[in-house]
Amino acid sequence: MANPPDDDAAMKARLKELSGALDSHRKAAAAPKVAAGAPSPNGMGQAMSLGFRVMSEFVAAVVVGGFIGWAIDRWLGISPAALIVFGALGTVAGFWNVYRIAAQPTGPRRDSGR
Amino acid sequence: MAEQAINPIEQFNVSPLFSSHKLGHTDIAFTNASLLMVIILGLVSLLMIYGTSRRSLVPGRLQAAAEMSYEFVADTVRGTAGNEGMRFFPFVFSLFMFVLFANLLGLLPFSYTVTSQIVVTFALAALVMLVVIGYGLFRHGTHFLGLFAPSGVAKPILPFIVLIEIISFLSRPISLSVRLFANMLAGHITLKVFGGFVVLLLGSGTAAALIAPLPFIGIIILTAFELLVAALQAYVFAILTCVYLNDAIHPGH
Repeated sequence: MANPPDDDAAMKARLKELSGALDSHRKAAAAPKVAAGAPSPNGMGQAMSLGFRVMSEFVAAVVVGGFIGWAIDRWLGISPAALIVFGALGTVAGFWNVYRIAAQPTGPRRDSGR
Repeated sequence: MAEQAINPIEQFNVSPLFSSHKLGHTDIAFTNASLLMVIILGLVSLLMIYGTSRRSLVPGRLQAAAEMSYEFVADTVRGTAGNEGMRFFPFVFSLFMFVLFANLLGLLPFSYTVTSQIVVTFALAALVMLVVIGYGLFRHGTHFLGLFAPSGVAKPILPFIVLIEIISFLSRPISLSVRLFANMLAGHITLKVFGGFVVLLLGSGTAAALIAPLPFIGIIILTAFELLVAALQAYVFAILTCVYLNDAIHPGH
């Protein structure tokens, strides 16, 4: 009958040890990924893909803005007005896209609150 | 004859394998692209079903590949969209595996790169956007539209911000699809052009044949690079899907 509390304590110690091991394992799993973002053998490929991402985000926004403006122009018959306005807005949206990439790299997003 | 053999665009031709079928006015023939997609689905299913059927504690090669792909995508989803994003894990995983296999199989000689067709990549991107919009509206109702109106913006400039956010949102499927499509298209054309150089130089019969190995070395390096791009683009597609899904789960950031 002296066993149960003893067992319990041992169990708790073991549990603590296991969760510690799990934590360190998780950290170890997360760490190399952060390191891999920095210079690595495929740093060139990653840099190129990031550059291409920035370019495509920017161009896509400008194209979408221009297209919306062109469509509104055709619809209302106010030829260059909407194209100019929406082209400018699209450019701004493109810069905004690029800013978002730069400000928040593709790492884990903080899950604040919710 | 030789000209046709080294036409760098020819590899992207879609041609029906059987006599074409019409559904109304639409041609729904089974093409070489369809064949590749069926093969991709078959290979992915084979990898996942056969790879996980053994369930040994010490994984064999197939099981290790299956488990690694699972863990990789699961980490990506969890890291980008949080634990709540895991309900989209099957969706993201299917997209990732499909794009990855399409890119990798496209590198094999005589095969076909499905992802070098903007129809395919845009269909995938449009699917992602529809899921984002559908889930956002289903989950948050009109509150989802708060995605377009960030909090803490002064009233007078709010209309501009909303317009910019809408354009930015609409540009997502385009940049998502064009990026994958352009990467694949450019890489494969470059490979083919370099291959054409080798053939032309060798066939010239002059001293120029001596430098034929140079573009050949270029092909080897480019193939390695394309391998990297294939995996990287699949990863980028998956992680951006997660980022967009994160917007649907937590709008108004």
